[in-house]
Formats: sequence, structure tokens, C-alpha cells
Amino acid sequence: MSDDKKMNPGRRNLIVLAAATGGAAGLTTAVPFALSMEPSEAAKAAGAPVEADISQLQPGQKMTVAWRGQPVWIVRRTPEMLAELPKLDDQLADPKSLRDPDTFTPPYARNENRSIKPEYLVVVGICTHLGCSPVDEFAVQPEPFDPSWQGGFYCPCHGSTYDLAGRVYRNKPAPDNLKVPKYMFLSDTRIVIGKDEKGEA
Amino acid sequence: MKKLIVISGLLLLPTLALAQEAEVRLDSAPVRNEPVQLQSGARTFVNYCLSCHGAQSMRFNRLRDLGLSEQEIQANLIFTGAKVGDTMKVAMNAKEGKQFFGVAPPDLSVIARARGADWLYTYLRTFYRDPSRPTGWNNIVFPNVGMPHVLYTLQGEQVIKQAKPIARPEAAKEEAAEEKGEHSPQKLVFEITKPGSMTPIEYDIAVADLVGFLVYMGEPAAAERHTVGYFVLFALFILSLVFFALKQQFWKDVH
Amino acid sequence: MSRIISGLTALQGWIDARFPFTSQWKAHASEYYAPKNFNFWYYFGALSGLVLVNQLVTGIFLTMHYKPDALLAFASVEYIMRDVPWGWLIRYMHSTGASLFFVCIYLHMFRGLLYGSYRKPRELVWILGMAIFLCLMGEAFFGYLLPWGQMSYWGAQVIINLFDALPIIGHDLSIWIRGDYVVSDATLNRFFAFHVIAIPLLLLGLVSAHILALHEVGSNNPDGIEIKKNKDPVTHLPLDGIPFHPYYTVKDSFGAMVFLLIFAIIVFFGPEMGGYFLEANNFVPADSLKTPPEISPVWYFTPYYSILRSITTDYMWIIRAAVLVMAIAIFWSVKTNWIRWGTLGIAIVLALLSWVLDPKVWGVGLMGTSTMIFFLMPWLDRSAVKSIRYKGPNYKFAITVWVIAFLILGYLGTKPVSDVRTLVGQFCTTLYFAFFFAMPWYTRADKCKPEPERVTWK
Repeated sequence: MSDDKKMNPGRRNLIVLAAATGGAAGLTTAVPFALSMEPSEAAKAAGAPVEADISQLQPGQKMTVAWRGQPVWIVRRTPEMLAELPKLDDQLADPKSLRDPDTFTPPYARNENRSIKPEYLVVVGICTHLGCSPVDEFAVQPEPFDPSWQGGFYCPCHGSTYDLAGRVYRNKPAPDNLKVPKYMFLSDTRIVIGKDEKGEA
Repeated sequence: MKKLIVISGLLLLPTLALAQEAEVRLDSAPVRNEPVQLQSGARTFVNYCLSCHGAQSMRFNRLRDLGLSEQEIQANLIFTGAKVGDTMKVAMNAKEGKQFFGVAPPDLSVIARARGADWLYTYLRTFYRDPSRPTGWNNIVFPNVGMPHVLYTLQGEQVIKQAKPIARPEAAKEEAAEEKGEHSPQKLVFEITKPGSMTPIEYDIAVADLVGFLVYMGEPAAAERHTVGYFVLFALFILSLVFFALKQQFWKDVH
Repeated sequence: MSRIISGLTALQGWIDARFPFTSQWKAHASEYYAPKNFNFWYYFGALSGLVLVNQLVTGIFLTMHYKPDALLAFASVEYIMRDVPWGWLIRYMHSTGASLFFVCIYLHMFRGLLYGSYRKPRELVWILGMAIFLCLMGEAFFGYLLPWGQMSYWGAQVIINLFDALPIIGHDLSIWIRGDYVVSDATLNRFFAFHVIAIPLLLLGLVSAHILALHEVGSNNPDGIEIKKNKDPVTHLPLDGIPFHPYYTVKDSFGAMVFLLIFAIIVFFGPEMGGYFLEANNFVPADSLKTPPEISPVWYFTPYYSILRSITTDYMWIIRAAVLVMAIAIFWSVKTNWIRWGTLGIAIVLALLSWVLDPKVWGVGLMGTSTMIFFLMPWLDRSAVKSIRYKGPNYKFAITVWVIAFLILGYLGTKPVSDVRTLVGQFCTTLYFAFFFAMPWYTRADKCKPEPERVTWK
């Protein structure tokens, strides 16, 4: 074995220098490799904003648009549907959409109707529990999951329910209201989803 | 020992110099990589090439490299319903392309890496009128090509007049080369029978810019490659010095 | 600080009670004694290991984005070059690494030829190394199909057709290899499996075995003498040995930096290398209906390709003459009966085959032989000494001629065929094989110089 237990300081300094510079170089080299796993330009292009033509949407109807691989629902609500919304507040978990608003409710949706124009609801149709897509239950009639059902959405996976503003009912597995994506009206008949005045999502 | 190496090497070397291929000599492409020239090339490309050819690997929004904004790209360079994040897909159906031209027009994403700038520059400038061809055009660099002279409105129509009169001693060798079927654009005289919208010099510049754009499109990351390269080389140089010092430190004991 | 150190020491003890960590570190690094006179040629083993790591890491990241489908492969490579962040860098590191792998391996093997590293007791190190070389050639071949360019496709077509040339089994064998009647998507997918998993696993196993075999007997050195013959009477350590760690870890780290500098110059400023590392024609997508006017293999295969092209009908006479000469030489040198009769039998069979089998088949056979003949080096070299430093003029002349012939064959392989080139190629092919086949005789007759007792620095 070596018999110089006490290494001369010059040697030790060089070892430290070499280890430090070599380590820095190694880490710097690892950066491009890690970055290569970020979404590519193709993924980003596929995630670009999507336009929807709502000219054919009738009152009481829903249309679905794909954005970033997810269903986005545009529901044209009737005046009756809109009138019902405030009456449901005490059955809802978060009627004023105060929970984590930056994620779920952009500023222009922080109102009773959760939308820019009261008539049109725009939400991401993915249950905030574990990601299933709820089914439409717009008819106002007693349902097995709610004898006094006033219309909305029902998630078949674990039973969460949402009203026609996408707000989640109390005591259900889902914690949050349905997410309102960034969107804006390009005209009375065209909505772009994934983009608003502030920029792209 | 060394003499043996030299002698045996020399004895064998002359044999390698024989038999060069008879090819068309290409003009050297005067490509400039300035943003304005590349933008001009991009404009020519989308206006004249993208209807038949595609550049499927090239995304429109990558043209921000040329100093353009996404709005400028969308407004000036996209004529189909494509979005700025889409790739430059071909408008023409491949089957139809094969029907019209005999072979589907190839994708141009990496054509500059496959053919080289000089080939493309010479090709685009040596189309000439040939009534015997279905398109009415032939080409010096790519004989019997299926592509018509798309840029003829710019260059005009030209025919091959004659071989240049040669008054040099190499004449005999060159004539022999001509007989082997070697035609080089430098030896031919073209005559413009119908002028286009550009003078010959303007056309050469336009083609040079187009070729420059094709070279850029073949490898958009080239500029970044060089920039990062300087940093990396500098860093490795420093590291080499550090590790050399470290090596010397330890190896002092051994020597 | 001392608490951290005693903590780490305790951890080391815990591991050592369950795993040969410290013992293996000592056996293979800090107490593995290597000769102290390693020169420039000795960098290339470690550098090959570094390139292997590079290929594995860049390969993994490429596999995240590459699509092994005939319709998608070519475009997926361009996707990596343009749309994947830093994809262009990973791709160029992989393509440059592939070529530099062969540079390092050829120089590493050449060191073996110079210093007799294949001689007893290191025959198995050499054989394992040759197996690694064969795997590497396969790995490069399979990998080259993946970009699915014109050269990829037609190169694969030609090489697989070599198997087609084999008598009787050839046709079915080549269909089985391709998984189809022509090179197609089926071929691409299985070559992807070979390239990404099968051969890398094989390589890792063989490299480990190669190093274990080396460490079992100890490294050779430029003087070709065994350092274990002169041990310190007290410590029993070789007098001319130094522990691999720290001396060679530090020296190889420096070598790695210089190598990486060259690597970076190529990656960042010349990844195509004038069309030798990335060929222009491979930027054209594969077209099964149109063969490019000139197919040549990648530069590292060109010497063997030249040999393949040299075997023409005329050359068969050289082969017959060589078989005759070899048979006579063996008869004259070897007195053992069964070897003599065996030689006669083999000579007759070869002579018959030279009329029965096409030159095409002989071409394939000789091309294969040209790579495999290295396996026999431990038994062909009959010198009294290991290292070229003490060998006589015979070996020095022979290896010089061989190197020049190898380089000329390599150059010829990049060019299309012509009458003159074929003649030169045939001449160099003969020289190439003569180096090996005549070796037992000219090395035995060589006038060697006396080897030193202790290592020298030249």
C-alpha cells in the first residue's frame, strides 16, 4: 500500500480541482439529456389552441372539442338552467369557486355562471377525482344518485356529480369543480380554447 | 525500416490516382447565411416548391430562426389552412404526383444534405427547353428529370446554343471528355429565347438564396451547433489542462 | 467531518460483510499492479470503454424518440434532429461515437499486434476481444439500417445477400434473417431489437469477461516481458508495476479529455466528416425500387469489402496456388502424420471447392476469414519474443506491408470498381492474407534481439 498517509497539499488541491471541474462538466453534459425528455416541438404543436364553431349549437345542447388530448365541453345553457344555478349553492362543495382558482377558474370565470358569457359554459370534461369523463345528465328528474336532481353531469367511475356550471356537489369523491380552460370569443360564433388575451395555456 | 515503408508506399500510390469519374462539373453555390437572404429563399420556397414538394420534417414556426415572428410567418408564408405549428406537408397527393411526373416529387427537408448546395444551385439554373420531353424541359445536371422548370417565369426560357469555342491547349482533352458524354455548364452556351421577370444575375441571386434556405432547412440546428461547440471546446481545453496537471502530479513518483 | 468519515467507514464495513465491494476494488483497481511503461497505444482500451458508455447512454435517449417502422423511421430521425430539445446533439454524439468506436478498437487491436498481447498466457483475453470485435461489427451493421436511408437499405440488402450466396442453405437462411423476401419493415424491427438489446447485453458480458481474463494474468507491456517475474522480495509486488488506481485512472482521465476534445470538434464542427461518418446518400429515404449508383459500406468495413470484391474468376488461380504452397510448406515443416494427412485432405477439398463453388461464394468466405483470422494470432506467431521492439526484420517488414495493404484496401473500398483498382485490390488481398498464413515460418526464422530484464521507456 502507499506509505504517504499525509498527501502533499499540491496534490490534494489538484484532485479537488479536477473533481470539481470534471463534476461540473459531467452535470452540464447531463442537462441536454434531461431536457430532451421535455415535450418536443411536435407535442407542443399538438397542444396548440383549438378553435370551435358554436354557430350550430342549440340551447340545451353540448358539443365536445379535443384540446391537448382532452375533451372540452361547450354547453349552451337555457335561461331555466341558468336560473337554477344560484339555488344549488348549499349543496355544492365550492359554490363560489374559491378553491385553487388559478388552476380551475380563470378570472373571467369567477362568477356564478363560471363563464365569460352566461349562455355558454366551457369546461374540461375530466372529473377532478381520478380523471374519468363524466356523462351528461341534463334532464331535470329524480336519479338513483340524487332524488332531487336538477341537471348536470354524473361521473360513472366513483359517483361524483357536477351542476351545469361544472361545480362539484358536496360529499362526493371529487374535490374540485370542473376546470375552466383559458378561452376567449373570437366572434359570436367562434371560441378559441387554450388561449386568452393573456396568452396561451 | 523507414525506407521500406516509403518505398512500398510510393510503389503502390500511383495506382490510386487513376480513373476519375466522368461527371458534370458543378458551379459553386454563392450561399449567404444572412437572415434577409434566408427569408428571400423561404419566400421562393413556399411560393414555388411547396405545391408539389413537401418538407414534412420542417415546422413553419421554426422559421423564427430567420428573424420572423409567428404572425409574420402565418401571414406571409402559409397559404394553406395550416397553423404555424404544423409541418410543411405537401399539397399534392403522392399517387397523383407519380401519375403526373413519373415519380412522386421527393420531400425536400434534407435535400441539401443529400445533394449538396452546389448540385442544387447548378440544377436550378440549367433547365433548358427540350420538346422531346413530356414536360418540355430537360436539365444538364439531372438528365431527363421529371420536374418541369418551375422557376421559368423568373429565369425565362433558355436553350443550349453550342459548346463554348475553346482556344486553349487543353482543347483536345476536353473534346475527348465531351465525347464521353461529359457536359459541364461551364462549357455550354445557353441562349435565353424568352426572358423572364429577372435578369440572369438577379436569377442567380434568387437561386443562391433559395439554395441557402434549403441548406438551412436541411439542418436548422447548425447555427446552434457551432455556438455550443465553441463553449464545449473551450471547456474541454481547460479540463485537459487540469487533468494533465493532475496526471503529472501523480506520475512524478513513477519517473 | 470525522463523524461523516466514520459513518461512511461503518457503511463500507456493512457492505463488505455482504458484498465483495472493497475486495474487488482492491483486486481490480487500487491493488491491481500494471506495468509502469504503458505508452500512447495503451489509451485505446479505456477509450473504447468510454465510447461504449457514450453509445449506450445516447442510444437510450435516441430510443425514446426513434420509431422502428419502415414508414416512420426516416422521419423520426429528422424529428429528433429538429423537434426534440437537444436531439441533434444526442444524434451526432451517437453517430460520431460509432465511427470513433472503430478508430479506438482498430488502434487497440493494433497495439496487440505490436506488443504480442495475444501471446500465452493471454490467448483468452485476445479471443474474448475478437468476439467483442465481431459483436461490434454486427452492432454497427444492425444500427446502420435504422435510419432507413438509401445506404441503410441497400447496404443491408447486399450484406444479407452474402448469406444468400452460401450453398444449399443460403436462400432459406437469408429469408429467415430478413423475416421477409426482401429487406422490409420486418427486417427493420428485428434489427432494432438486436441493436438496442441483444448485442449490447452480449457486449457488456464480453467486455466484463475480457477485463476479468486480463486481470487474471496481468497486463502485457510495450517490452513484452512479464513484470511478475521480478517481484520485490519483501512486498511480493512486481518491481515494474504500479497500482492501476490512482496512476492509470488519472492518466486515462487525461487521455479521455483529449479524446473528448477531438470528439467534440467532430460532433460540433464536422459530424458528417466529408460524408464518411454520415453519408450524403443516407439523407435520401430508402427506396426499394432504386439502387444508388454507388454503394459502399461505411468506412470501417471498407477493407473487408475490398477483399470481397477482389475474389474474381482470375483470382481463383491465386487461391489454388496458395493452397498448394501452404500444403507443401506444412508438409515440409511438420512431421506429425495426422497433421500431414489432414492437410492433404483439406487441400484437396479446397481445390475441389475452388472449381465447384462460384468466386462469389469464395468472396464471402474470404471476407469472413479476413476478420476471423485474427483469432489465430496466438498460434501463428512463433517468435521467440513478444514485442516488436525485440523482433527481427521479418516481422517488422511483414507488419509494415500488412498495414499499408490494409489502408489501401480500405481506400479502394470507398471507390467504385475499375480494372486497375481490382488488380491493386487483389494484390493487397494477397499481401493481407500472406501476413497471417506465412507467419509461422517467417516469425520462427526471425533473428530476434535479447529482451531486457526490466521494462524500459522508449
